Amino acid sequence: MILGIGFANPLLVGIIALTLLLVLVIFGVRVVFAAAVVGLLGLIELLGWSGAAGIVGTVPHSKSSTYALSVLPMFIFIGFLAFHAGMTGQLFTAARKWLGWLPGGLAVATVFATAGFAAVSGASTATSAVFARVAIPEMLRYGYDKKLAAGVVAAGGTLATLIPPSAIIVIYAIIVEESVGRLLLAGFLPGLVSALIYAAIIVFWAMLRPEQAPAVEPSTWKERFASLPGVSPVFLVVLIIITAIYGGWATPTEAGALGAAVVFVLALLRGAGLKTIKSSLMESAKLTAMIFALIWGVLIFVRFLGFSGVPEAFTAWVVGLDMPPMVIMICILLAYAILGMFMDAIGMLLLTLPVVYPAVIALGFDSIWFGIIVVKMAEVCLITPPIGLNCFVVNAVQPSISLPQVFRGIALFFIADVLTIIALLAFPEIVTILPDLLSN
Amino acid sequence: MIKSQENAGCLGAADRLLAPVEDAANLLAACAIFLLMVLGVAQIVSRTVFNAPIEGYIDLVELSMAGMAFLGAAYCQRIGAHIRMELLVGRLHGRGLWAAEIFGTVVGLVIIGVLIWYGGEHFWRSYTLGDSTIDAELPVWPSKLLVPVAFSIWFLRLSVQLLGSMRMFLDPQRDPVGVIFVKGAAEQAEDEMHDAMGGDIAEDKAPQSGDGK
Repeated sequence: MILGIGFANPLLVGIIALTLLLVLVIFGVRVVFAAAVVGLLGLIELLGWSGAAGIVGTVPHSKSSTYALSVLPMFIFIGFLAFHAGMTGQLFTAARKWLGWLPGGLAVATVFATAGFAAVSGASTATSAVFARVAIPEMLRYGYDKKLAAGVVAAGGTLATLIPPSAIIVIYAIIVEESVGRLLLAGFLPGLVSALIYAAIIVFWAMLRPEQAPAVEPSTWKERFASLPGVSPVFLVVLIIITAIYGGWATPTEAGALGAAVVFVLALLRGAGLKTIKSSLMESAKLTAMIFALIWGVLIFVRFLGFSGVPEAFTAWVVGLDMPPMVIMICILLAYAILGMFMDAIGMLLLTLPVVYPAVIALGFDSIWFGIIVVKMAEVCLITPPIGLNCFVVNAVQPSISLPQVFRGIALFFIADVLTIIALLAFPEIVTILPDLLSN
Repeated sequence: MIKSQENAGCLGAADRLLAPVEDAANLLAACAIFLLMVLGVAQIVSRTVFNAPIEGYIDLVELSMAGMAFLGAAYCQRIGAHIRMELLVGRLHGRGLWAAEIFGTVVGLVIIGVLIWYGGEHFWRSYTLGDSTIDAELPVWPSKLLVPVAFSIWFLRLSVQLLGSMRMFLDPQRDPVGVIFVKGAAEQAEDEMHDAMGGDIAEDKAPQSGDGK
């Protein structure tokens, strides 16, 4: 015991610990250290030093060495390889040939090219970075408005976290102990719906302001079909992951391994040298270590939370509120929107879910649905000020477009995102239909 | 003055000595990721084509997870990749910044120190008891040993950063040695960009891309 409260009032210990955690995180202590140290202190208070240390010492290894988590390094590796395999150019070309004739066609093509890239990458900011280089110059050359061109690339990047393979969805699945496969599938349609709503709002805007998004000459059917072989690896990776989960012929990790192997071979065929492969691997290892540190750090804290009874108390309080569950849900989402303005998406989810998730489930919401909506919410924060990392990325790649211009360009897509979230709230089937098909 | 430069020299040497160790550990983790890919493909082929799944595949994957999870941690620390909220720290300068860095690093040292000790105990128990996996009966201790080993490198890196921050706290005018620079969103974006484009095959070299050129 440190404070001398101990099990006389575990809830109080829990609340003190949560406050301490908040203070540490605000003061810039790395999330893994803050969560683990507060978890350790809380456990010492409740169980004494030897009990606490015994638990804490086993968590990193036992929680990291689970088969379900092994899908993460595979998905991360696919993403890094995909950058180096030069897939983005082909995706943009193909999308442009098929969709360029639409009002705002180049911007629409950018949306679907980012969605396609999302199918081999789970990283939002990185997707924005590559497309800022591939798609923005092309749009500007055709006289597109700078704000629109920048906005579509920053927003398009966020599709990466919904469309499988998505690292953040896997992390949600692990934290709430849901099926990784079902959650990955669940992200597919909402990702597509997001892309369609982006596209619709671009078409609408381009018809309103044709001078901001001038038309480009349509391509012939021959040109269109000629553009397909270049993007076939993307379809192959999607096919592998989706059919593996549906058909059960491979676990998500094995499907990820096969997908990575496909992109790996492709990268070699495109002339990637040892240096490229090594740097993709080193970056994958770095990101894997970072994510795993977060996971075990937060899980130490979660072990303590379980003893403290805070999640149960919070759930009881939320369920006891005299409000319709949907109103509570909207409040929770708004809280996430605010939190997401200041915090990284993965850190935010890991820190909040242990307390918020049981309450959401007790209110009668579907766990898979909540996962997707919360991930979408976290992504919206990647394009909103003040942090809005995707916007900074676009500005960094294309310095001729100023940061305020990028943020103004985002406005249209922010509206689109709000529409998407409303659609997901009103029609939860968009999320649940694919995973439900799996269970039948 | 001369003394402080000497200190910087020692710290710089420690920094340079530690870096290759961290790189090597991260490279090991990277190799484990690559092997996981190979193993996954081999498992699919062996199971579907030859109807003979690799024995102990899941045990093997689970034991190797420790390598991927922990070996890159110190490398991550050196380049400042472990996430934190930079809203406040990003606005600090001079002594305030270094005080925050010292505080954050000390918290890290405490928890990593505890984990080295008790992670080591966890390993030792498993080693003396001869713990093995249920399915393939592989020994568990090598995997558990990775926790104290990887965390010891991490601990050393944190120590270098602590000394570096303390040195800067004493005199913020010095040239920084062995510390991470706090990055604003803009510089982070810059990094993302380099990460995304650092490869040796540029977009434009790929055939068929750059339509309309």
